[in-house]
Amino acid sequence: MKRSLLGAIGAIALTATAAVADYPEKDIQGIIQWGAGGSTDTVMRSVTPHAEEALGGSIVLQNMTGAVGAIALNHVAGAAADGYTLLMGAENPMLYKVMGLGDKDYSEFTPINILARGTPMLVANTDAPFDSYAEMMDYIEANPGSVRFGSTGPGGLPSVITAMIETVEGGLDVIAVPYDGDGPALTGLQGGAIDVMPAVLGAAIEGIRAGKMKPLAVFDTAASDKLPDVPAVVDINAEYNTYLPWGPFFGVFAPKGTPDDIVAKLSAAYATGAQNPEFIELMEGRGYTLMGISGDEAEAFLTKWQQGTVWLLQDAGLTKTSPEAFGIKRPGE
Amino acid sequence: MQHLDPDHHDGTSQASPHREAAKRRPGELLFALALSALSLFLLWDAWGIENAFGPNGLSSPRAIPLAASFAMLVSAAIVTLKTARLPLERAETVFRDILPGVVMLFAALLIAYGILLRPLGFLPTSALFLIVAIKLLARRGWGWTIGIAAVSLLVIWLIFRILFSVLMPAGVVPEAEVIQFVRTLFAQGQS
Amino acid sequence: MAVSILISFTFSWEVYPAIALMIGIYMGGVYGGSRTAILLNIPGAPSAIATALDGYPMAKRGEAGTAIGVTTVMSFIGGFIGIGVLALAAPLVSEFALTFQPRDYMLLAVLGILLVGSLSQGSLLKGIFAGALGIAIGAVGRDPLTFTERFTFDLQLMEGGISFIAVMIGMFGVSEALLQLHHVHTPSLRQKIGRILPSLATVKKHLPLSLQTSTIGVIIGALPGTGGDIAALMAYDHAKRVTKAPERPFGEGAIEGLVAPETANNAAVGGAFIPMMTLGIPGDAVTAIMIGALFIHGLNPGPMLMIDQPDMFWFIVGCLVTANVFMLLFGLTGIRLFTKIVEMPRAVLIPLIMLLSIVGAYAVNNSVSDVYWMLGFGLFGYFMRQYGYPLGPVILGVILSRLLDDNWRRAIISEREDLGLFFHGLFSSPLSTVLFVAVIVIFVSQTPLWARGKAKLFGKTEKTA
Repeated sequence: MKRSLLGAIGAIALTATAAVADYPEKDIQGIIQWGAGGSTDTVMRSVTPHAEEALGGSIVLQNMTGAVGAIALNHVAGAAADGYTLLMGAENPMLYKVMGLGDKDYSEFTPINILARGTPMLVANTDAPFDSYAEMMDYIEANPGSVRFGSTGPGGLPSVITAMIETVEGGLDVIAVPYDGDGPALTGLQGGAIDVMPAVLGAAIEGIRAGKMKPLAVFDTAASDKLPDVPAVVDINAEYNTYLPWGPFFGVFAPKGTPDDIVAKLSAAYATGAQNPEFIELMEGRGYTLMGISGDEAEAFLTKWQQGTVWLLQDAGLTKTSPEAFGIKRPGE
Repeated sequence: MQHLDPDHHDGTSQASPHREAAKRRPGELLFALALSALSLFLLWDAWGIENAFGPNGLSSPRAIPLAASFAMLVSAAIVTLKTARLPLERAETVFRDILPGVVMLFAALLIAYGILLRPLGFLPTSALFLIVAIKLLARRGWGWTIGIAAVSLLVIWLIFRILFSVLMPAGVVPEAEVIQFVRTLFAQGQS
Repeated sequence: MAVSILISFTFSWEVYPAIALMIGIYMGGVYGGSRTAILLNIPGAPSAIATALDGYPMAKRGEAGTAIGVTTVMSFIGGFIGIGVLALAAPLVSEFALTFQPRDYMLLAVLGILLVGSLSQGSLLKGIFAGALGIAIGAVGRDPLTFTERFTFDLQLMEGGISFIAVMIGMFGVSEALLQLHHVHTPSLRQKIGRILPSLATVKKHLPLSLQTSTIGVIIGALPGTGGDIAALMAYDHAKRVTKAPERPFGEGAIEGLVAPETANNAAVGGAFIPMMTLGIPGDAVTAIMIGALFIHGLNPGPMLMIDQPDMFWFIVGCLVTANVFMLLFGLTGIRLFTKIVEMPRAVLIPLIMLLSIVGAYAVNNSVSDVYWMLGFGLFGYFMRQYGYPLGPVILGVILSRLLDDNWRRAIISEREDLGLFFHGLFSSPLSTVLFVAVIVIFVSQTPLWARGKAKLFGKTEKTA
C-alpha cells in the first residue's frame, strides 16, 4: 500500500509539468453559494452531472453558506485561478457592493455559463381581500399600512420587485415582514402571516396549482406558458416595460485569470450539460427561462443586469452606498 | 481527599441535581470575572449594532443581542459576587486539579493542529497529532504507536474522503492527484 | 448532517433508491446520535443532547448496555408513532402547523428557553448565563433578515456566523476529551453484561410517558423551523415535570430521562415529513435537502405531490417503516461490541475523539474556520465544566437563537412595532393564548418561591444524592 502510494507521488512529480491539455487531472471543487436543497443548489446539482460527462472529469459539489453567499464568493475569489475551484452562484453578488455586504462581485470572475433566469411574480394568501393586481393596488390605497408583504432582506427579489412597483406606481404603504428566504416566506403566506409575496415563479407554482395561494401577476413582458391565466404585469401597466424582463439568475463562475483554454473547456462542458433534455425539462417545468450564455455575451448580460438593478434600488432609497461610488453607470448613460 | 474519584467535581456529571458548591475552586473567581468582562464587552458591542436599512426600534437586529448580553452580564455579575463570598477550596491547586500539565499539553497540541492544518494539510497534521498524542498518553513503543495511529487515520480518511467526498485541506500532500492517479490505474486495469 | 454529505453521491441515482438511502441515514442518524451520548457523554447529533444527561451516568455505573437497550426500543416506539401520525393524519397536522404565526413561534422559543431551568444542574444562575451566551453565539454574523453585522467585530471570518455544530462538537467532544485526560491511567470501567432488552413490564410502565413525549415530538417535528433537537429537550423537561417518583433522580441515570428524549426525537422524524409531503414545505434541515432531491429527480414537491403521485407518499412511509425496523434490529445487535468502546484504553480513545471532532466540525461546512471555532469552544467548554457551568443551556441557546430573534421581529413588525397590539395579539387566537399561559405557568414554577416549596418536599433526597 505504502509503496504504491509513493510510486503514485513519484509519477505525479514527473508529470506535474504536463500541459493544460490534460485538464482536469483531479477533482474540481464546485462551491455552491447557498444551502443544500435551495434553488441554486438544486439547479447546480442537476446540471453538473451532465457537465461532468461532457468534461470527462469529476466535479465535487460543496455547499458553503453564510453572509448571504459572500463567504463562498470570497472563498472562490481567493482560490487559485487554475480551474479547480468554481463558484456556483446566483444573482445577488451583483448587489453586494451597493448593499455594503462586500467589496467583491462577479467582476472578479469569468462567467463559465449563465444557465437560466427565473421569472418573478406576485402571489397572495387565498383569504386576501383582493384577487388581482389592480384590486390589490386599490386595497392598499384604501387601507394604508395594513397589507403585509413578505421580504427576504435588502437586495432580495421581493425588495427589487417592491422597488419596481414603487417606481412605477408611486409609494406603497405596506408592512414588509422579513424572512430568511422565499421558502419560509411562502410558508408564512399560506399560514396567513403575510398577505402578499413577490416570489420566483418556480417556487410558487406548486402552491398555486394546489390552490394554496392565488397568483396576482407575472412580472415579465408576457404571460408565462406555465400559468397562462395569470396576466403579465406589462399588460396592466405598460411602464413596467422599462425594467422587464428582469429576474434572478444562476451561473457557474471561475476566478478571473483562469487560463483561457480551461475556461473554454468548462464553458463547452456546461453548455453541453445545459442542453441535456432532462435538465431542460426540469427547468422549464419550474418556469425558468433557459439562457446558457457565456463569454462576452454573459459579461454584457451581467453588466446590464447590475446597472438596471442597482439603480432601481438606489432610486428607491434601498442602497447603502450609491452605485456611482463603484463606477456603476446608470442604464443608458 | 480522593483525587481520582471520577465524580469529584470534574464536570462529567453534567446533570447532577441542583447543588450549589460550598467552596470556590482555584481560578473560579478569575473565570467569573472574565465572563463578566466578556458580557460587558458584548453588551457594549450589541448597543452599537445599527440597522442600515430600517428603524432601530423593537424590531431592530440589535434587540435580541442586547437582551441576551444584558442577561449574561447580570447573571455573570451575581455569580462573581456569590463566588467571591465562598471560601477557597484549599485542597486543590490550579496545576493539579484545574489545568494539569497534560491538559495544557493537549491544548497546545490542538492549537498546533489548528495552525498546521492549512499549510501542512490534513493527512500529515493528523498523523503527527495522533502519533504524538498516543505516544504521550500510552507510553508504549514507537511501532505500536505508529501502527495504531496509521490504522485509525486510514479508516477516518477512507470514510470521510472517499465515502463522503469531504475535501479536507490537502496541504503538501497532492491528495487529489494521487486519487486521480489511482483511479486512472483502475480504469486502465479494467479496459 | 450526514444526509447533506450523502446527497452529493445520490443525485446521479434513481429517485427511489436515493430517497430510501436518505431516509435510512436520517433515521439512523437521529437514533445513532444517542450511542456516543451514552457511551462517551458526547452527543453524536443535536437531538441526542438530552440523552446524554441520564445515559452517560448509566454508562458510568456500568449499565451502558441497559441504557442502549432502552434507547433502542424507545426510539423504535417513538419512530412508529411518528410514522403512524404521518400515514394517518398528515393533512390534519399540517393544517395545524400552518396556523402557527410568528408570535406563536416566538412563544415556543420562550418556552424552550425556560428549559434552562431543568438543564442547569448545580447553579441556575450559571445556567442562565450559559443560555444567554448561547443566544448571543447564535446571533453572531450577518443577521439573515437585514444583513446587519452582529458581534462580527468587522472580521470577515465572523460574517458567516458560528456554526452551531462546531460549537456543539467543541463543547461536548473536545472538552470531554480534555477532561478525560485527568483519568488517563484510571482503568476503564467494566460494563456489566446483563440483560439488554428491557423487559415488557419496563416498556409497559413507560408507555404513557412515551406516548406523551412522542406527541411532543410529532408536533415539534411537523412545525417548519423546529426539529428533533428542540423536541428532545422539551420532552426531557416534560418527563422531569410529570414523573413523580423516578427510580433514580434525573441526572443520575433515570430511565425516564432516556425514554422521553429518544421517543420524541424519533417521533419528530415522522413529524418532519408531514409538511414536506402535504405542502412541499420542509419540516427541518434534512427534509429541506430531500425536497431538493425530489426536485432534482424531476418530481414537483408541493401540495400536489400527494395527489399527483400518491405512490411516492406511500413509498416514503414504507421506507420509514423499514428504516425503523432495521434500526431496532441493528440497534440491538452488537451492543456488547459498542460498550467495548468505553473499555478501550483512554490513551487511544482520547486522541481519536479529538481527531474525529476536528473532521466532523470541518465536514459540516467544509471550512477550516469552523475547526478553529470548534477548538476554541472546546477549550472554553473545558473551563466551564471545571467551574460548574452547565453546557446544555449553551447549545439550547444557540438552537433557539434564530427562532426567537426572527419571530420576535416578524411578530412585532407585523404589529408596526406597537407593544399594545402585540399583547392584544397574544389573546386573539386560542393557540397563542395556550402557549402564553404555558409560558407563564412554567416560568412561575421556576421562581424561588416554588423551588422553596419543592425543596421542603424533596429536600432530603437531594442532599443525600
